Amino acid sequence: MRLNHRNARFFLGLLLPISVLFLTGCWSSKEIEELGLIAGTSLDLDTDITVTNQFITSETTGSGSRAGNTQGGSTQKAYKNVSETGKEVLPTVRNMLLKVDKRAFAEHSKVIVIGEEFASNFNLQQALDFFLREVELRPSSMLLIAKNRASDILETNEPTKIPAFQLVEMIKGHKRTSKILPPMTFAQLEGKLESNASFLVQAVVSDGDVKFSGAAVIEGKTKKLRGFLDEKEIEGITWITGKGQGGLVKSLDKETHQSIIYEVLSMKSKIIPKVNGDNISFNITIESEGRIGEQWVLSDKASDDEFIRKAEKTTEKSVEHLVEGVLEKLQQEYKTDVAGFGNRLRIEYPKVWEKVKNDWDELFSQVPIKCNVKITIKDYGTSGE
Amino acid sequence: MMIAQDRITTSQAIVVLVNYILATGILTLPRFSLEKVKTPDVWISVLLGGLIAMIAGVIIVKLSQQFPEKTFYQYNQEIIGKWLGAFLSILVISYFFLIAAFEVRTMAEVTSLFLLEGTPTWAIILPFLWVGLYLISSGINSIARLFEIIFPITVIIFLLVAFLSIGIFEIDNLRPVLGLGIIPVLKGVKTSTLAFLGPEIMLLLIAFMQKSDKKKAVKVVLVGLTIPLIFYIITVVMVIGALSVDGVLTRTWPTIELMRSFEIPGLIFERFESFLLVIWIMQIFTTFTITYFAAAFGLSCLLKKNIRIFMFALLPVIYLIAMTPKNINELFKFGDMIGNAALILFGMLPIILLFIARLRGVKNEA
Repeated sequence: MRLNHRNARFFLGLLLPISVLFLTGCWSSKEIEELGLIAGTSLDLDTDITVTNQFITSETTGSGSRAGNTQGGSTQKAYKNVSETGKEVLPTVRNMLLKVDKRAFAEHSKVIVIGEEFASNFNLQQALDFFLREVELRPSSMLLIAKNRASDILETNEPTKIPAFQLVEMIKGHKRTSKILPPMTFAQLEGKLESNASFLVQAVVSDGDVKFSGAAVIEGKTKKLRGFLDEKEIEGITWITGKGQGGLVKSLDKETHQSIIYEVLSMKSKIIPKVNGDNISFNITIESEGRIGEQWVLSDKASDDEFIRKAEKTTEKSVEHLVEGVLEKLQQEYKTDVAGFGNRLRIEYPKVWEKVKNDWDELFSQVPIKCNVKITIKDYGTSGE
Repeated sequence: MMIAQDRITTSQAIVVLVNYILATGILTLPRFSLEKVKTPDVWISVLLGGLIAMIAGVIIVKLSQQFPEKTFYQYNQEIIGKWLGAFLSILVISYFFLIAAFEVRTMAEVTSLFLLEGTPTWAIILPFLWVGLYLISSGINSIARLFEIIFPITVIIFLLVAFLSIGIFEIDNLRPVLGLGIIPVLKGVKTSTLAFLGPEIMLLLIAFMQKSDKKKAVKVVLVGLTIPLIFYIITVVMVIGALSVDGVLTRTWPTIELMRSFEIPGLIFERFESFLLVIWIMQIFTTFTITYFAAAFGLSCLLKKNIRIFMFALLPVIYLIAMTPKNINELFKFGDMIGNAALILFGMLPIILLFIARLRGVKNEA
């Protein structure tokens, strides 16, 4: 009995050192000081592909905030951009190992910016394949298209800021203006590229400051950049899709030529396809409720029924104008459907869609589209003047 | 035999069945079924698949209820004779341990892709096998009790992560309903029925149920299939709603992709794919252990030896089979093969056996 006890103790004692072998813990751990977190990536086409990764490392974060605190004591930035060129994306990224001491870690990558040249010369399905395939890159990261060079977008003059993260914050503004598109994440991108549909990607431009500016039209057939829409045209798109959650519409009073600003509180749109034999046409019904946000017309009172009716009318005209403007550009110039007309046709007339889907963009450019706008002004803020 | 004292209740039987059914399907069903259907109506296929599985399940139960105290391995010899019965038993046993091997390998593939990059496959599989062996060595009751712990965790976490993805859900991706008619939907029924593999466990489970509960076996099958049915429909709807039909088709593991497609800042956690993987691995573990147990139990019935011998003997076999597929495509084909075998073994055979049993009037009302 006693001996057994001792024996058991001996073996248990043996277990202790043995268990150490299995308790090495974080076996393939990576120390955060040794990581280079990739915050964003840009792709440009020079003679080859130029990939620029925005790294955040333990050194840059330290220096960035210190510089901020001591007001320019050091000029080092909160990020470090590293560029490399090559024929494909992955080998190029791997070549960065040759000049970066940190292990690149892309789990926190938020944004991928591609340059105008790159987007108009490459089929995006081929060129972005790496980003859709790699496990370390999350499908929640978003795509932007830069006018001119994409690597400029990842630069900023403010040393404490990280441009890639700023872009993410900025795109959240789509909730309050109809001039920014909802983000195009890689999760959605995959479906868009696969379905051969044309689509829009938020465009961004850098002239010292980084600024969102219009949208890039990606053509479904070639999957290349077709051209850009300006901010006004994005507003038109937002009204057509009814996906906006806010925004302003400016219109001019007929008599005085002074501005009336309508603030959108809600927006609804219905695209109704009509099929008559081989003829396809669309009716858009847009309904919106809002308030008068600002008005410059001195002769009228905002509380006046007459004035409200007048403001509704002029606002309706302005919205119609926006919608017609963008439709003209899409149908005449780009000949691409990026406003979801095809999608509505697919839902309402699936069998017709099966027939026309292969050259839908071509067909779309000749489809008659009618537009109906109904604006309701609910209130006029805190001033009845 | 060891049946005598080892009994489980009705609710335990339901939990065992649910845990057995839920496995790899959660991650791959959206793509596999979409590849066949190609319209957003996949959820209807899943619904039909579930109903078919219920019918098959009820037939299996009716068959087993003819012999309430015996498992399939024992009563098939009474119906169709000793040799044919033994042959059938061997087929079913092989089926069970092939499933065990398949589940283990799929688990290893997903884990090494998303969680443990660089860890060798054997190092992922071996501990999994050992823990499974440890669990089943104490019989069906401990298995059922562990499943009872795993089940509520799965339900809560699954519903939580599924509904968190509502932010990227777009109803237009699921429309139109039946736009191209019912034909595409029917094409996907077979694939989605295969996601409901599992009612076959009732061939054994009824013998293990408490005497008073045996009459409720039909209820076990119906409830036990309804829960996975709800899980699958939620999965398919959320995945297609977020990624669109064309997007799902290109993703290897669409459901994980869905969880990786959104981040919710402000909560304690921003990312939720690891939650899904955790419950998924638990579900693989439950499927693995129950099939492993069923195979070992079958061998012990057939050869009339202690079950422990077979538990240990099967372990290396399962490991070797699990390591056989050379790449992920072979693994998926392996899964298809098992599914087809199941359709014949458990879709057709029970009807024939039930028919013969009624015809010959073999019955065992112990």
